[in-house]
Amino acid sequence: MDNNTPKRDELLSVGMAHLGLKKVTREIPDDEPPALPPNAGLNFIGRSSPRWDAVDKVTGAACYTVDVQLPGMLFAAVMRSPLPHARIRSLDLVAARNFPGVRAAVTLIEALSDGSAPAVLYVGQPIAAIAAETLDAAEAAIQLIGIEFDPLPFAVDLDSAMKPDASVVYQKNEVAHIPFIGFPFVGELPLEGNVRGPNKMVQGNINDGFSSADFIVEETFSTQVQTHCCMEPHAIVADWHEDRLDVWMSTQFTAGVRAQLAATFRLPLSRVRVRAQAIGGGFGSKSQLGQYGKTAVMLSRMAKAPVRLVYRRDEEQMDSGNRPSSRQHLRIGASRDGKLTAISLHAWGSAGVAQGAGVGNIAMALYVCPNLESLQYDVFTNTSPSTAMRGPGNTQGAFALEQSIDALAEKLSFDPVALRDVIDLSPVRREERRLGALKMGWAQRKSPGFDSGPVKRGLGMAQSLWPTNIQLNAACEVRLWRDGKVEVLSSVQDIGTGVGTLLKQVVAEELGLRPEAIEIRIGDTEFPSGPPSYGSRTSASITPPARSAAWQIKNALLQSVASHWRLDPQQLTIQDSWIQSADNPSQRMSWQEAASTLRTDRISVVTGRSDDYAGFRSSHGDAAIALNDLGGVQFVSVAVDTQTGVIHVERVVAVHDCGRPINPLQIESQIHGGILMGISYALLEERIIDPHTGWMLNPNFIDYKFAGPSGLPQIDVMVLENYQGFSATDAYGVAEPANIATAAAIANAVYNAIGIRINTLPMTPARILQALHGADRRTC
Amino acid sequence: MSDKTHETGTDQIIKPSAEIFGPGTISMVLNVNGILQSIEMEPRTTLAEALRTSLKLTGTKVACNHGACSACTVWLDDLPVAACGILAIEVVSRKITTIEGLGDADHLHPVQKSFIEHDAIQCGFCTPGMVMSCAALLARNPHLGVEEVETAISGHLCRCGTYPHVVQAMLSLSAEQEADHG
Amino acid sequence: MEAFEWQQAASPENAASLATHTTTEAMLSAQGTRAAFTQAMLIKAGGVDLIGLMKDGLVSPVRLIDINHLPELQGISENAGGGFTIGALTTLAQIATHAGLMKHYPAFVQAVTTAASPQIRNRATLAGNLLQRPRCWYLRSAAHHCLRKGGEHCFAYAGDNRYHAILANHDGCAIVHPSTPATALLALQAQIESVSANGVQRVISIDDFFVLPSIDLHHENVLRTGELITAINLPAPHHTHRSAYLQLGEKTAFDWPLAAVAVFFAIDDKGICQQTRIVLGGAAPTPWRAREAERIIEGSKIDQNNARSAAEAAIAVATPLSGNAYKLPLLCTLINRTIMKAATSE
Repeated sequence: MDNNTPKRDELLSVGMAHLGLKKVTREIPDDEPPALPPNAGLNFIGRSSPRWDAVDKVTGAACYTVDVQLPGMLFAAVMRSPLPHARIRSLDLVAARNFPGVRAAVTLIEALSDGSAPAVLYVGQPIAAIAAETLDAAEAAIQLIGIEFDPLPFAVDLDSAMKPDASVVYQKNEVAHIPFIGFPFVGELPLEGNVRGPNKMVQGNINDGFSSADFIVEETFSTQVQTHCCMEPHAIVADWHEDRLDVWMSTQFTAGVRAQLAATFRLPLSRVRVRAQAIGGGFGSKSQLGQYGKTAVMLSRMAKAPVRLVYRRDEEQMDSGNRPSSRQHLRIGASRDGKLTAISLHAWGSAGVAQGAGVGNIAMALYVCPNLESLQYDVFTNTSPSTAMRGPGNTQGAFALEQSIDALAEKLSFDPVALRDVIDLSPVRREERRLGALKMGWAQRKSPGFDSGPVKRGLGMAQSLWPTNIQLNAACEVRLWRDGKVEVLSSVQDIGTGVGTLLKQVVAEELGLRPEAIEIRIGDTEFPSGPPSYGSRTSASITPPARSAAWQIKNALLQSVASHWRLDPQQLTIQDSWIQSADNPSQRMSWQEAASTLRTDRISVVTGRSDDYAGFRSSHGDAAIALNDLGGVQFVSVAVDTQTGVIHVERVVAVHDCGRPINPLQIESQIHGGILMGISYALLEERIIDPHTGWMLNPNFIDYKFAGPSGLPQIDVMVLENYQGFSATDAYGVAEPANIATAAAIANAVYNAIGIRINTLPMTPARILQALHGADRRTC
Repeated sequence: MSDKTHETGTDQIIKPSAEIFGPGTISMVLNVNGILQSIEMEPRTTLAEALRTSLKLTGTKVACNHGACSACTVWLDDLPVAACGILAIEVVSRKITTIEGLGDADHLHPVQKSFIEHDAIQCGFCTPGMVMSCAALLARNPHLGVEEVETAISGHLCRCGTYPHVVQAMLSLSAEQEADHG
Repeated sequence: MEAFEWQQAASPENAASLATHTTTEAMLSAQGTRAAFTQAMLIKAGGVDLIGLMKDGLVSPVRLIDINHLPELQGISENAGGGFTIGALTTLAQIATHAGLMKHYPAFVQAVTTAASPQIRNRATLAGNLLQRPRCWYLRSAAHHCLRKGGEHCFAYAGDNRYHAILANHDGCAIVHPSTPATALLALQAQIESVSANGVQRVISIDDFFVLPSIDLHHENVLRTGELITAINLPAPHHTHRSAYLQLGEKTAFDWPLAAVAVFFAIDDKGICQQTRIVLGGAAPTPWRAREAERIIEGSKIDQNNARSAAEAAIAVATPLSGNAYKLPLLCTLINRTIMKAATSE
């Protein structure tokens, strides 16, 4: 917290721009710039500048970790468990180590503290790794590793893992070693068999709430395991030196990986450098150093040479993270007037051998309800550990909640939009519903199953909720060189979101230059620590310090020019790359000339993320939660072929808010991405594990099906300008909200089309036909 | 680009014969982006590996390595193919065009320009392959509808969801050409 | 992928004589999960399937015999008596854009056009497409030594069989045949020409080409080592002929369909169906003639009612597994629609 910083009062605009803005007074730190006008008054912010790295990306020049080739670089391969649960009786790396070309071999699994043989807990679990002069040699050496197992009983799905006689993944004394995937952090919870929890949240009196309800809806929903499918696989090049560690990594958080490397290998932060120039997607799976990261460093240290470890696609699908499964029993009570009286959520989910399979806070937080109860359990299974994935928790949670609200609306004879106007207090989402409903033609929505078929159409809608995360450990440097060149530097990485473009626009706007004049240098921990690219927090965390730094650089330059002209710097302004005196417009100087007045070759300002001007909801370590939420409302129209079970999403209207939109086209891109991933989650994707061998049956892009470019829906994106007056830019992210509502909106549209609610994902033809016609129907 | 900057090794082009090559390293000449280049490779080396590793043409990406995502799309005699599933030894003496041969920062291909303008890019990993498919489509059919574009890129997978902007980028090129030709 | 030698064949006969195994045979092993025949010399055409199998460690030949350059196996020609001969190495893309084939054999061209992706269609050969190994995920997993690979167990029956067969699926193996063009070729009564090492040529009716598990658990077709496909013949077209193809998948590109149907009719001037072939894909271990459906259509005028009856008759005999009963209504609809599509086509 920076409570001691000198502050001044500043008038800031708040509200939704198209409805009119209000002014509020907030205290802001003295070293931060004055209020930034709404986008209508700006030159570059709010306009769609071309993506900062677009030329490199369309020409193939962009350098991803998989493209890094160092002299003398070795190639690593990983030996993985073929069994879902087993003790390792013996492990012998000698033959592998002696294979021609092999330079290092490490075991990745340790004997237990009591001396008993180590166990593998899932198929694909890394056991050992080899670095060799060629990848072929490394893979051949893997085959020579001698290993003997004593197989143990296992459970790979929720049902069998929850049986009282199920084999246990973790003993009670192993709880401390269970890998943790985040969201939300929960400490001590009881473990019974494979079930850990509940992670409990209670408010009011749930029984009273249901007793006072006029109507109750109650359903069980199931969601599948989804894999991230980053186009660039997990990849690292580690180069261990006597005095330092250099790493190139396809990561969502260079600074975080640096911290983890420093802690893991007991190195000073200053001796670890992590670079990520271009990153081929992350979606949550590349947030951590991970075992693969450690493995490459261990091999490099042993071989005294750079080591590259790149996952094959099957490794990527089997063991690089996934979205946990869920089963949610949701019960909602309401009175006749639509007001909610009680929400009870009991949820079980499996993040494999990891903990953190919760379904988020959306059922507890989206709607106003006095009596709440949420009991969430982790169920351990002998499957690979999950990681966070785009809208973790709330995406699964929204599928249950938003279908239940839809069902409740029908029971209450409310229109689903009108019911939400009663129970959702957010004025922003109310406006988003209004705009979206108009755009979609919601008024023409028919009653469920209205069409005669065989193709039936329907409309549905659902809402997103995502907490606004802010990274406090987020800094940015702006440099001005005497030749006029401006650089923006931060370790923040661009995983495809376009954050580099935002930095260009924000700094250009502040300096009165064009965005093309700003050079972006990011994705390198030699620069000030940037935020991670996860949790929809990057824009909100890094654009305010970038603007503050630019403002301070501008002041320094004006000071220099003012000294040169012997004027008061207050009288100087910068516009279109010219510095001029307010009193005497003919007294002007180009940006280059102005820079040449600097006393030193380069001036530089580093600023960090300050607290939100109105404070935070909560703050913990490097991160804080802002007072505002991120939301969004999506409307969907579908056509369901009732004879084939095929659902075609024909149109999506997505209305979102992300504070001040800095680059509308990039925002639209990201919303497209969230929607398409949501459609894919709703209709296609599923990790399939063989029940008898524990192997993933679809560890490739052929059998693991995710949405391609054929039969795309029409997608209409509307983004509100919604000012909070909380930071120097008032910009927020949109990655997660764009994904959270989609599957639920589709399910509601499917219900509207066919009059049957589909409670299980994915909504494949098989599932739709089963729902419509039951099993084994032999007619058409 | 000049066509023959590298003359050595042209006599090593493999012609149909009973000769047995490999399994170890052999010398081959690839004709990539109009340049004949001699490389050391094994018969098992895929075209994608040869381009990326020996020729340092890393714009061609490998994502699924099984022909299912088309990230590795290059042109073989002007037809888009998946370079991960072709052996380099098979295409000796054939004309290969990669993303690096299509245009560079100073001479962008119209498809590349349109991708930038429409933000048909996010993480960018599928982008070079997508550009190659779109440029091939434009070369054989300048008058495009949504269906032609969706078919031409139907083999591509993009996890970021650039498809709608890719389609828009291509339709705008088509519209431009229509305007140019009255 | 293991290292291998590379040799280009001088002729089809030369290739046939050099090859020591078919890919199918080279994937067979009595025990263990590593490919048994590491000494195998295999013929490679487009290599679309073979290279993938090699990358996955399912087959590791010592040598590949490349035939892709052989001119005698290329091209599409119209025969003197009508009909077309398609060289074995003709790519799917060449077929998809051939005006003569489009005009006379719409079912075939529709099946080819929807196979795989543009990139794959530019490389995949017609013969290679017919000979690709099934997509069964147990067959394609090196960790599952299944019956079809020489093991003792079919994992699909008790495992996840959502994409498996609903017909002829109880003889030890429940694969579905992966080639969708094959369904159309069976409907259109194509012939397959082959040549052997000693130069002997034979012509195999497509009716006799594919093999069910009840006959042979380890092969999908009658081709054996020392023989390779040289061409596929399509019989002479006639103005009474009608054909159509439809498939249905979860994805609209690069996805082996859940179900596919190809039909062929000869409809006389009175509108009576004189020849009927209704072939199902994604349903059985071979492209599958739905003879129960054919009997209903044959000798009748096609209308909505008998099209539906035919579809239901085809499905009545199905024996779904634990996870694929959804294919019954799906195929039923698809048969019905494909019959109507062909009957109403010009």
